[in-house]
Amino acid sequence: MTTVDHKRIAILYGVTAFIFLLIGGLEAGVIRMQLASADNDLIGAGRFNEMFTMHATTMVFMVIMPLGVSFFNFVIPLAIGARDVAFPRLNALSFWIFLFGAVLMHMSFVVNQVPDAGWFSYANLTEKPFSPNRGLDFWSISLLVMGVASVAGALNFIVTIINMRAPGMTFMRMPVFVWMTLITSILLVLAFPVITVGLIELTLDRNFGTHFFIPAEGGDPILWQHLFWIFGHPEVYILILPPMGIVSEILPTFSRKPLFGYPFVVFSGIVIGIMGWAVWSHHMFTVGLGPVANSVFTITTMLIAVPTGVKIFNWIGTLWKGAIEFTTPMLFALGFVALFIIGGLSGVSHAVSPSDFQQQDTYYIVAHIHYVLFGGSMFGIFAGAYYWFPKITGRMMDETIGKINFWLIFIGMNLTFFPMHFLGLNGMPRRIYTYSAELGWENLNRIASFGYIVLFVGILVFIYNILKARNSRRVSHDPWDAPGLEWSIASPPPAYNFAEIPQIQGRDHYWIVKEKAEAAGTPITEPEALVDPSSIHMPSPSYWPIFTAVGVTLIGGGLLSHYALSFVGGVIAMMGVIGWSNEPAAAPSDHH
Amino acid sequence: MGLSPFRRAGSLSKPAASNSSEPTGRSSSLKNRSVIFGLLAALFLFAIGCTKDGMSTWDAYGPVAQKQLDLFNVLLWVMVAVFFLVEGALLYAIIRYRKRPGQPKPPQIHGNTTLEVTLTIIPTILVLGLGIWSVFTLFDLQDPDPDGPTPLHVNVTAHQWWFEFEYPDAGNGKKIITANELRIPVDRPITLQLESDDVIHSFWVPKLAGKLDMVPTRKNNMWFQADSDKIDDELPVTLYGQCAELCGIAHALMRFRVTVMEQAGFDSWAAAYGPPPTNSAKAKAGQQLFAANCTLCHTIDGPDDPALSASRLTGFLTGGDITPVPAPNLTDLRTRSTLAAGIIDLSETSLRDWLRNPEDIKAGNYMSERAVLYQNGAASLTDEEIDALIGYLLDLP
Repeated sequence: MTTVDHKRIAILYGVTAFIFLLIGGLEAGVIRMQLASADNDLIGAGRFNEMFTMHATTMVFMVIMPLGVSFFNFVIPLAIGARDVAFPRLNALSFWIFLFGAVLMHMSFVVNQVPDAGWFSYANLTEKPFSPNRGLDFWSISLLVMGVASVAGALNFIVTIINMRAPGMTFMRMPVFVWMTLITSILLVLAFPVITVGLIELTLDRNFGTHFFIPAEGGDPILWQHLFWIFGHPEVYILILPPMGIVSEILPTFSRKPLFGYPFVVFSGIVIGIMGWAVWSHHMFTVGLGPVANSVFTITTMLIAVPTGVKIFNWIGTLWKGAIEFTTPMLFALGFVALFIIGGLSGVSHAVSPSDFQQQDTYYIVAHIHYVLFGGSMFGIFAGAYYWFPKITGRMMDETIGKINFWLIFIGMNLTFFPMHFLGLNGMPRRIYTYSAELGWENLNRIASFGYIVLFVGILVFIYNILKARNSRRVSHDPWDAPGLEWSIASPPPAYNFAEIPQIQGRDHYWIVKEKAEAAGTPITEPEALVDPSSIHMPSPSYWPIFTAVGVTLIGGGLLSHYALSFVGGVIAMMGVIGWSNEPAAAPSDHH
Repeated sequence: MGLSPFRRAGSLSKPAASNSSEPTGRSSSLKNRSVIFGLLAALFLFAIGCTKDGMSTWDAYGPVAQKQLDLFNVLLWVMVAVFFLVEGALLYAIIRYRKRPGQPKPPQIHGNTTLEVTLTIIPTILVLGLGIWSVFTLFDLQDPDPDGPTPLHVNVTAHQWWFEFEYPDAGNGKKIITANELRIPVDRPITLQLESDDVIHSFWVPKLAGKLDMVPTRKNNMWFQADSDKIDDELPVTLYGQCAELCGIAHALMRFRVTVMEQAGFDSWAAAYGPPPTNSAKAKAGQQLFAANCTLCHTIDGPDDPALSASRLTGFLTGGDITPVPAPNLTDLRTRSTLAAGIIDLSETSLRDWLRNPEDIKAGNYMSERAVLYQNGAASLTDEEIDALIGYLLDLP
C-alpha cells in the first residue's frame, strides 16, 4: 500500500484492470444473452442500457487504458535504463486515484442507480429531466476523479522518457514502445482537459442549475458531442498506440530481425497522434453539420488511414525474410496485425460519409470498434502479457496452454464480431435491447452470442495459465533472446533495476551487446550481477499518495452524497499534499 | 451479391493461417480438409449473412439510398482487394519465413526508403480518390433535382418514443398530422424537415436513405424518393424505419413505417383524413371518454362542441399534478397498420391489450407512467368503456 516501486505499481495496475476486464466481460455477456434471440425479454430495457453503458465505460477507462499504463510502468524505466519513473510517489498517487475512482463508479451498482446513457452519454438525454437518478452523476464524477490519475500518470511518463534515458539512448534509438508511450502520454495530457470541461459542465447542469446543454434554456446539446469527440477520437489512439508499440517490440524479437523502417513507424505514430485531432466530427456525420463540414472530415479521416497503413506495411516488412518463431506472444502479435487490418479497412469505409449515413449507429460500427479495440488493443495487451511475463515473475507461462488460449480467443473473437458487420449492413441499429424476428437478424446474433462463449472460455484459460505459472519452472533472464534493455537484468528485476546504468550502443541494444560478446568468445549467459541494495539509494515507501488519493476521491464522493463529505475530502487531500511535501526528500534514484 | 469475398475473408483465411503456422508440418490431407471446411463455412456465412429483408441497406428503393449503396459497393470491392493483398502478404510472410531448424540468423534489414515512400503514396492516392468521390456524392445528394417533380414536404418531429408527421401542403388547407406511419407517393421527391421535441433522435429508413439526427433546437433537412422501377411488389409497399440514436429507455421500441403509395391512393387518403365519425350512440360515448381521459396529451382533430369541451375540462381538473407530454394525434388511427410506434400490428385486440396495460407492450412509455387512469386504480376504465373507446377510435360498427 505504500510502495512507490514502478514494477509493483505495474502489477497493481495490471491485476486491477484485469478484474475490471472480467466485470466488463460479464456485462458484455449479459448483452449477448439478451440479444441471442429475437423479442427476448431476459432483462428489461433499463438494465440493458446500463449494461452497454458500463461495458464500454469499463473497457475504455478501467481496462484498456490502465492495462496500457501497467505496461508503461513495468517496461518504460527498464527499457530506457532508469531506476524508476521520474516521480515515484506521483505514480503511486495515480494508481490509487484510478482505483478509488473506478470503485466509486461501481458504487452505482450498490445503490442501483447505474449510468445508462451510453459511454458517450450524449446530452441532453443526460440532463436531469430525462435521467433523474444519480447514475449520470456517478458516471461524470468518477470519470473526473479517474481523469486526475490519467493526467498525472501521463505527465510522469513524459518527464521520465524525456529526462531519464540512459546515456546513449537518443530519441531515435528509443524502442518503439517507448515512443508510443510518449505520444500516448502527450495525447492524454491534451485530451483529458477537453473531456474534463465537458464533464464539469454536465455535473453543473445536473446539480447546480446551469444549462450548458439544455436546449430550452439556450444551451446546445451538440456542444457536448464536439467536446466528447475532440477528446474521444484522440482517446481511440490512446487505446491503440501502446499495443502498437508492444507489437513493434514482439515482431522483431521473434523474426530475429530489427523492426523494418523504424523511422517510418515512429513518425507514422507521431502523425497519427497529430492528425487524430482533426477527425473528431466523423463520429458526427449524421448530426446535420452540413456538406462542407462532412467533406472536410471525410478527407481528414481518409488521410489518417495512410500512417496506419504505413505501420502495417512495416510490420509485414519486419516478418519478411525473418526466421519466425510461433511463440504465444508472437501469435497474439500476428493476430493483432491480421485483425487490425480488418478494423482499419472497415474504418476507411466509415470515413466515406455518404455511405456512413447508412452505417452510423449500426452493428457495422460495433464490429469495427471491436476489431480495433479487441482484435487490436486487447490482442496487443495479451501479446505483451505473455512476452513480459517471464521478466515480471521470472517464470514462464505454459506455451501449449498459451496457444490454446490464443486460438480460443482468436476464433471466439471472429465468431462474435465478424457477423456484426452483416448485422449492421442488414440494418440492425446499436443499443437496442430487442428486435423483431421479421427483420432477419436472429441467426447472426446467435452466432455472435455463441462466439462470446468461446471468447469467455479463452479468457478463463488465460487466468488458468497465469495461476498455473506460479509453480512453473524458473527461466533465464532472457528467455526470448530479445533485443530490449530490460532483458539484460535479472528476472524478476531487483528493486533498483540496474546496478550500473548501461551505456546504450544503438537500437536493439541488447542484441548488439550479445553479438559483440559472442564475437569476443564470451557469450552472455547471466544477467547483470546483483549488488547489495543498500548501496543504491532508492525512494522510500510513502503512505502520503494513498492518503491523498482517499481525499481526492472523497471530494467526488461527497458531490454524490453530502457536500460535507467533499469538504472532509478536501481537508484530507490538503493534509496529504502538505505531508507529502514535508516528507524527507528521496534523492532522484539514478544520481548517486 | 458481391459480398462473398468479404465474408470468406473472415472465416477462411484465418483457419488456413492457423494450420500453416503450427510448429510441425502436417499432412496435406488435413490441409485440404481444412480448406474444404473453410469454403463450407464461407458458403454458410454467405447464405445467412446478407439479406434484403426489412431494414437491410442492400436493397435501395430510391435514388438517395442507391447512390449511398453504389458508393459502399465500390468501397467494398476496394476493401476486399486490399484485404486479400495485405492479409495475403502477411500470410505469405508467416508461412514462407517461419523458422526452420538450424537456420542461420536472417539478414538484418533495417528498411527500404523507396519501398516505404511508394507504399505511402499508393494508399494516399487511393484514399484521396475515394474521398473526393465521397465529397461529390455528398453535394449531389444534398437536394432533389430542381427540374424533377415537385417535392412533397413533410415536417417530422421526434418525441420520446414516437414520430410525428405533419403534411403542411397535402390536405388542401386541411391540417394533416399523423404518427408513426409516413405515407408517401411514389416517384416524387419527399423533402423532410426533422426536429426533436425532447432529446436527440435519429430518423432512418434504410431502403430510402441514410439516417439524419433529430436534434432539439435544430431543423435538419433531408430528402428521399421511392422509385416505382426499383420496387418489385405491388403498391402500396410498407418499409421499416427506426430511431437510430439512443434516446432513453424505450429507444429500441421507437419504430415507424413508411407506406409507399400511388399518387392517386395517397391523394384519396389525404382527402379522407379526418376524425372518426360519431353516428352511433356507442361512438359518441367513446368520443366523450376520449375527451375526458385522453386529451391532456392526445388530440383528435374536429369541430369542438360544448359537450366535449366540458368533458375535456373535467379531464383536466381530475388530472392532478400530472405533467402532460405530447402524444400522437389519433385523428386517423383507424387507417394505420401498427400501434405504439410500429411495435405491434393494429387490431381491435391489440388496441384492447394496449389500453388495458400499455406497459406490457412498450416498457417505459409515458402513457402508463403519467395518465391518471393507469396511476389511480379508481379511475381505470371498465371493459365496456374500453370497448366504446376502441369502437370510436377505429370506427367499428
